Amino acid sequence: MDEWKPNPAVKPHKKRSWYLAWKYKLMNQRALRKLCQTGAVLFLLVTVIVNIKLILDTRRAAYEEEEESAQDYDDEMLNVEVPRHPVNNKKVLDVEVYSSRSKVYVAVDGTTVLEDEAREQGRGIHVIVLNQATGHVMAKRVFDTYSPHEDEAMVLFLNMVARGRILIFTIKDEGSFHLKETAKNVLKSLGSQVAPFLSWRDMWTFVGKKGGEVYGEKHAKSPALSTWGDPVLLKTEVHLTSVEDAECHWPDTELNRRRKRFCSKVEGYGSVCSCKDPTPIEFNPDPLKDNKVFDVPVAVIAGNRPNYLYRMLRSLLSAQGVNPQMITVFIDGYYEEPMDVVELFGLSGIQHTPISIKNARVSQHYKASLTATFNLFPDAKFAVVLEEDLDISVDFFSFLSQSIHLLEEDESLYCISAWNDQGYEHTAEDPSLLYRVETMPGLGWVLRKSLYKDELEPKWPTPEKLWDWDMWMRMPEQRKGRECIIPDISRSYHFGIVGLNMNGYFHEAYFKKHKFNTVPNVQLKNVESLRKDAYETEIHRLLGEAEVLDHSKNPCEDSFVPDTEGRVYVMFIRMEQEADFTTWTQLAKCLHIWDLDVRGNHKGLWRLFRKKNHFLVVGVPASPYSSKKPPSVTPIYMEPPAKEEGAVAVPAAAAAEQT
Amino acid sequence: MQKINRNVVLALLSLTSLVFLLFQLCYYKFYLSQKNGAAFSKVRGSQSGQDSTRWHVVRKFLGLISSHNIPVYLIDPLILGLVDKDIEQIRSSPDGPSLECKYFCAPRDFTTFALLDKTWKHEVGLFRTAEKMGFQWLKIINKDPRLDGMDDLSGMEIPLHYIFKLASHAIHLVVFYERSGNFLWHGPLRLRQHMDRKFVPFRKLHFGRYPGAYEKPELLLVSIDDLKVQIPKNPSSFLEEMSHSRFLECRYREARAFFQLYPDDASLDAVEFRKKAKSLLHLAALTLNNLGVKFWLSSGTCLGWYRQCNVIPHSKDVDLGIFIRDYKADIIPAFQKAGLPLKHKFGKVEDSLELSFQGEDDVKLDIFFFYEEDDHIWNGGTQAKSGKKFKYLFPKFTLCWTEFVELKVHVPCETLQYVEANYGPEWKVPVKTWDWKSSPSNVQDNGVWPVDEWDDVIQIY
Repeated sequence: MDEWKPNPAVKPHKKRSWYLAWKYKLMNQRALRKLCQTGAVLFLLVTVIVNIKLILDTRRAAYEEEEESAQDYDDEMLNVEVPRHPVNNKKVLDVEVYSSRSKVYVAVDGTTVLEDEAREQGRGIHVIVLNQATGHVMAKRVFDTYSPHEDEAMVLFLNMVARGRILIFTIKDEGSFHLKETAKNVLKSLGSQVAPFLSWRDMWTFVGKKGGEVYGEKHAKSPALSTWGDPVLLKTEVHLTSVEDAECHWPDTELNRRRKRFCSKVEGYGSVCSCKDPTPIEFNPDPLKDNKVFDVPVAVIAGNRPNYLYRMLRSLLSAQGVNPQMITVFIDGYYEEPMDVVELFGLSGIQHTPISIKNARVSQHYKASLTATFNLFPDAKFAVVLEEDLDISVDFFSFLSQSIHLLEEDESLYCISAWNDQGYEHTAEDPSLLYRVETMPGLGWVLRKSLYKDELEPKWPTPEKLWDWDMWMRMPEQRKGRECIIPDISRSYHFGIVGLNMNGYFHEAYFKKHKFNTVPNVQLKNVESLRKDAYETEIHRLLGEAEVLDHSKNPCEDSFVPDTEGRVYVMFIRMEQEADFTTWTQLAKCLHIWDLDVRGNHKGLWRLFRKKNHFLVVGVPASPYSSKKPPSVTPIYMEPPAKEEGAVAVPAAAAAEQT
Repeated sequence: MQKINRNVVLALLSLTSLVFLLFQLCYYKFYLSQKNGAAFSKVRGSQSGQDSTRWHVVRKFLGLISSHNIPVYLIDPLILGLVDKDIEQIRSSPDGPSLECKYFCAPRDFTTFALLDKTWKHEVGLFRTAEKMGFQWLKIINKDPRLDGMDDLSGMEIPLHYIFKLASHAIHLVVFYERSGNFLWHGPLRLRQHMDRKFVPFRKLHFGRYPGAYEKPELLLVSIDDLKVQIPKNPSSFLEEMSHSRFLECRYREARAFFQLYPDDASLDAVEFRKKAKSLLHLAALTLNNLGVKFWLSSGTCLGWYRQCNVIPHSKDVDLGIFIRDYKADIIPAFQKAGLPLKHKFGKVEDSLELSFQGEDDVKLDIFFFYEEDDHIWNGGTQAKSGKKFKYLFPKFTLCWTEFVELKVHVPCETLQYVEANYGPEWKVPVKTWDWKSSPSNVQDNGVWPVDEWDDVIQIY
């Protein structure tokens, strides 16, 4: 390029006269002209060379890069990420809804989104919620409105669905028997003409937009009590709206992006998806001073009860001292909705392929979850184990922080549990009081890593054993005489009504009236006296100051305990040997506490509260504390009732299991 | 007229050439600076040294991560190598202003930093800020190996590597995870199909060809080239560790298939033996690591790791290998001090050395010493009653890290050849009766010890 510079004169000019003069001059200077020509040729040559070099360079560089990113760094899995939902530009959805005695189905654009032809199942009104912009299924529910109270649940659910969503209803078998006026009115307000007159064994399908138009309704009346209405098939079209119209306009933050993703996928979570005033999904509870459990991993064991999980995580993330980074949710099965809930809260979730069936499935899920927890947090000495149907007390972590050193130092401890089996509204009183018990309550507890790794994990029941993991853990071979620490007032609350071993009656009888601590920052008072030997001293002191109750009275009567407050009373019951719980069980029954198996005992001693007095029950002569019995007192004996059918039979497995 | 035309044509041609050439020059410059800023930035940065693109990119990156409170530390082998030469000076004057840009301006394509996974919260905000600052970034995710060993768990995929690119320089951020066995692990860098293969010259990365295992480093906050940055306290030992950090994951899928075929022994005896073998292995690892003796899982223990990711319950002992060049006379007293009495000692340092220590309840710890030859490696065996010598031949191998019973230990990288040499092609089939003198497929008779040496080479306690 340097060759060029000496020749600026070569530039052509447009002024004709000047150019001609210049040309004439040049013609007269042959030498100069020659020079210019050679210069130009040289310059052309340089250009060509530079060109070639550039081409070569570019090609080499490109080749190198291709080399560099070659097979070595290729993922052998070749995971091609397929977009989850193909972009759908269609504006109209074809919806087909079928209602009959034995089968219901719903198809959207030819895809079956609901099909239920199982026998003895799925009776009632099936409800499907579609996203009005995408047509995706956001919720699927069935309300057995043949049975009582299910219509209330349906009303609750329908009220939570956001305006504008598309609702699809269809009845299987029978859906009107306990469909009350309120529910019928709600259906009517959605635009249904038929709902107010739905009657016994009618078939019914309905498609409409919440707070908007009706896309179709079909109904077949049952001609007689003993027969069903004819099957009905409703075919209709639904016009989709634009995505913008279907979404709320929350400020664009990281949290709201999570919220948006969640709310455009699922329905039935109420105010979290409210456009105007959505409920927070980040809680920032006060941190705990000197939090000893900040680095303890928390494993949340979950199944497919996403609404439960949602409630549970809300309470967990609101507890003081919670560390969201340590929380892992383990979902038993590849369910999407629980995972959506986990992602809504920005937590990490792990899905587990179900192994085995029933109780064994739960047990295998527990094992996998616990092993994974200690793999993910190899530094952890403990793990907190929670279930998806628990509310967590605001001072849950404070309670653990104050007591966890005991689990580290006292070899005779098996676990710390947040749950007191006998802590009902009428039998628990003191949030700062802790007990030692021989049974393992579960329902929010702390597991020591060494116990799991060295003892439990290698022996864990194999998938073919249909055992409950908690029953197995309570077996003497595992527990080896060790005890758990529990609070008087539980730090967890079991709200699950639907479950493997759970039903409405059972929940009402045994869990609903459980006391749950709501006081923050409770300072525990007797932590050091919970060590093995110190606890004995404590019990002896307690028995020493306890007043012996009048054993001639009926212990079931309220008058058995005087109308005082803050006193300590003791009663003695008959307990021939360590495993003789005849009288205790009867007493537990009449006190309306847990009586399905023996819980909460410590060496033949039970501690609870009655009328705000500490109430001790000692089993004589099996308990070592029998020596405290004055000779004049005869231990109370209560006979089990003669074999008669109870009002409601509770299945044996349910009695033992709490999950 | 002819001549005039020629002139005009020539002049026009030259002009177009000039324009074309100028255009090409611009393009060439632009292209070069994208590809490798060296030539470009040197010109501008040469006066102060700190004007260099690389230094600027590093400074911007450090600003980015400190604004999000993310603690990273420098693990770039090139820079750590330079730093190591001046380590005394850097340590003694942690805040001294530097006169020239010595480290962060050194020519290279990447600067590598490490991030401990548990010290940050995966904030998405980081990446938005990075984008605002002009960084392009790439995230490489993959399966979580800590869940890989487990039946049918599928967690979220975890980030293994991040690359932040700005102008001609890129920052490689390697994410380290804590693993059972008290060590740090980083994953391999594998590109998926849809990824931009030309984002950076991946081949030149120092981390990511293989997964790696590291001790948890002690960190030191230093100021180099006027940038405050954390580095490993001892860069030279970090670099040494890096040179053989390759990690092998256990073959969990094959192990599961093995257990499908041969269900695991879940008897109480098996559970007990595994527990004892595990604690014996932990004790042995502690003892040898304290002495600084490199060892690996050998024989049955190695087979157990390779075939079933666990201790073989009927194996009855724990086997370790040590290169004879790593032999130390302290080994025997150290084990005795750890509560493992010497059970027998066969051979001598020069030939066929083998030590056996008595662990708790009949579980034995066998240590075989390996002798390296030009084309193979061997260890010896001795039959006590006859004085017969045996030789077990192995193809040459190098050592890799792995995780086994919550321990970071070495295994031969070429495990399959090692196991096949020892157990033959049928190693996949469990064998309960095993004669160490005849069963191994690589055993050779190696003569008999001279009787006068017996007292020395056959010691039984």
